[in-house]
Amino acid sequence: MKQIAARIAWSAGLILAVIVMCFSLIHLAPGDVAIVIAGDSGAGDPEVIAEIREDLGLDDPFLVQLGGYVGDVVQGDLGTSYRFNEPVTDLIVTRLWPTFLLVGTAVSFAIVIGVLVGVFTARRPESPISHGVTVFSLTGYSMPVFWTGLLLIIMFASNVQWFPVSGMRDVRLDGNWLEEWVDIAHHLVLPSITLGVIYLAQYSRLSRASMLEVLQSDYVRTARAKGLTERRVVYKHALRNAVIPVVTVAGLQFGQMLSGALLVETVFNWPGLGRLAADSVFQRDAPVLLGILILSSTLVVIINILTDVVYRLIDPRIRVGAATK
Amino acid sequence: MEPVLSVRGLTVTFGSFTAVEDVSFDIHAGQTLAVVGESGSGKSVTALSIMRLVELGTRGKIERGEILFRAPDGEMIDLVQQPEGEMRAIRGNQISMIFQEPLTSLNPVYSVGDQVAEAVILHQGLDKEAANERVLEMFRLVRIPEAEKRMVQFPHEMSGGMRQRVMIAMALSCDPKVLIADEPTTALDVTIQAQILGLMRDLREQTGAAVLIITHDMGVVAEVADDVVVMNRANVVERGPVTQIFEAATEPYTRALLASVPRLGSMAGRDEPAPFDLVEYQP
Repeated sequence: MKQIAARIAWSAGLILAVIVMCFSLIHLAPGDVAIVIAGDSGAGDPEVIAEIREDLGLDDPFLVQLGGYVGDVVQGDLGTSYRFNEPVTDLIVTRLWPTFLLVGTAVSFAIVIGVLVGVFTARRPESPISHGVTVFSLTGYSMPVFWTGLLLIIMFASNVQWFPVSGMRDVRLDGNWLEEWVDIAHHLVLPSITLGVIYLAQYSRLSRASMLEVLQSDYVRTARAKGLTERRVVYKHALRNAVIPVVTVAGLQFGQMLSGALLVETVFNWPGLGRLAADSVFQRDAPVLLGILILSSTLVVIINILTDVVYRLIDPRIRVGAATK
Repeated sequence: MEPVLSVRGLTVTFGSFTAVEDVSFDIHAGQTLAVVGESGSGKSVTALSIMRLVELGTRGKIERGEILFRAPDGEMIDLVQQPEGEMRAIRGNQISMIFQEPLTSLNPVYSVGDQVAEAVILHQGLDKEAANERVLEMFRLVRIPEAEKRMVQFPHEMSGGMRQRVMIAMALSCDPKVLIADEPTTALDVTIQAQILGLMRDLREQTGAAVLIITHDMGVVAEVADDVVVMNRANVVERGPVTQIFEAATEPYTRALLASVPRLGSMAGRDEPAPFDLVEYQP
């Protein structure tokens, strides 16, 4: 418990460093925000631009601006969007759960199916099915996310029309909450497969290799010598040990998955954070972009802490290792 | 006296390689048979074949032979012909096994108590509470101090000797008729070796189980065995009572194996050990 508390305290410092770095990077980027904001209404009028600069405090020294921003963030205020003229926090909160839904479904799909496929192929390493799965995994791993997305749309949304082409909801639907959720789940299938398939390929390869090693271990032989069924040997004794590398990699890859979500959300017109981030880059909406960067970094840090917790639950050697440090 | 386990003409292959060829021996209740030989002679494969574990997780195949086991109803059954389901009911229950490496033979992610209880629940149909009682009793039998506290510990929290005691407790938890010990003391230091051998001898006397011990250590053979089978390159070279093997071995290979054991004073007058001639056994 002490170790987890220390990790959280250390992570708070890390997030602060991320805020300072992101703010500095955006500040250093070329171009004047005031001109962008004035672009439509002020049409380059120097007085309007000067007024905007003063309102936003853009004339203040860098450190004053940074200090003000950090102070606001600590109080939960991420500023106001230049484009929407709405609090960034509100914008992010609205877009957060569709991204969570997409990434969460993709991660679960990739881990559950990936590990099951890995276990299956490890138990029959020389079977034709195992070789077929290996080829499928490598194909999935080699395909760019946006291309997979487009292929799935052509195959399952355009040709056979099993799933919707894009979006998260059918705007024509007027039903109860259950019908709405079924509709969202229906829209979720193709984007989550698109995002998950590349990770599924990696996790199935990883769990196959790990499982092959664990199945040769002495404690698996002991489990067999006890008279346990092969199913119990594999799913109770071997799997928990074999899944440890998958947890490590899945935790480390969470950041990559968030960036993958950006592409998938664009391809499928999914109303999540990824699309908001892409739009704010093109619109030079610095507060929104900064807010999303900070949130993503915080999520990566939180997921890493959760990975540590899961580690401790799976492998008791890590619990004691940490406690005796 | 009828043997409890009788191996007849056992031949085991791994692809084109023959690991065990035409091996035969008997084990009687309450007695210890030691199978000795250098590394690669086929001792462990013989033991794994009796459990039919050689066919699980390895490419081994029992090509020929019989492994006759006296079932609780007194009938002799051939383990080679038993379906896998029947074998699972025998493994860990009527024939159990302890392995060379106590450090890696226990699953690192489950407590030692749970790992022993699993066998008891499986074969004796006890509930969790009764199984834990049985585990506690077994831990005390194998002289694990503070048994109750130790039951909830994980393997990495125990020493090598304690882990091997847990393995012995696991193997004996269902009162097996035959206990196979594959180099049970090789990974342990000398003092712990003596304790574990003493424990095994006491337990054999208490339970009346037949013990098959696999070793390359002639000191262990002298300590625990009643009968000895000497193996070399997949074949049985010689067999007989332990005193006969030690005092009047007939085969040159057996004599060379015995002579290879360093003796106190054998280096007197020399700076380094002298190489001895290798004996090739021709079956």
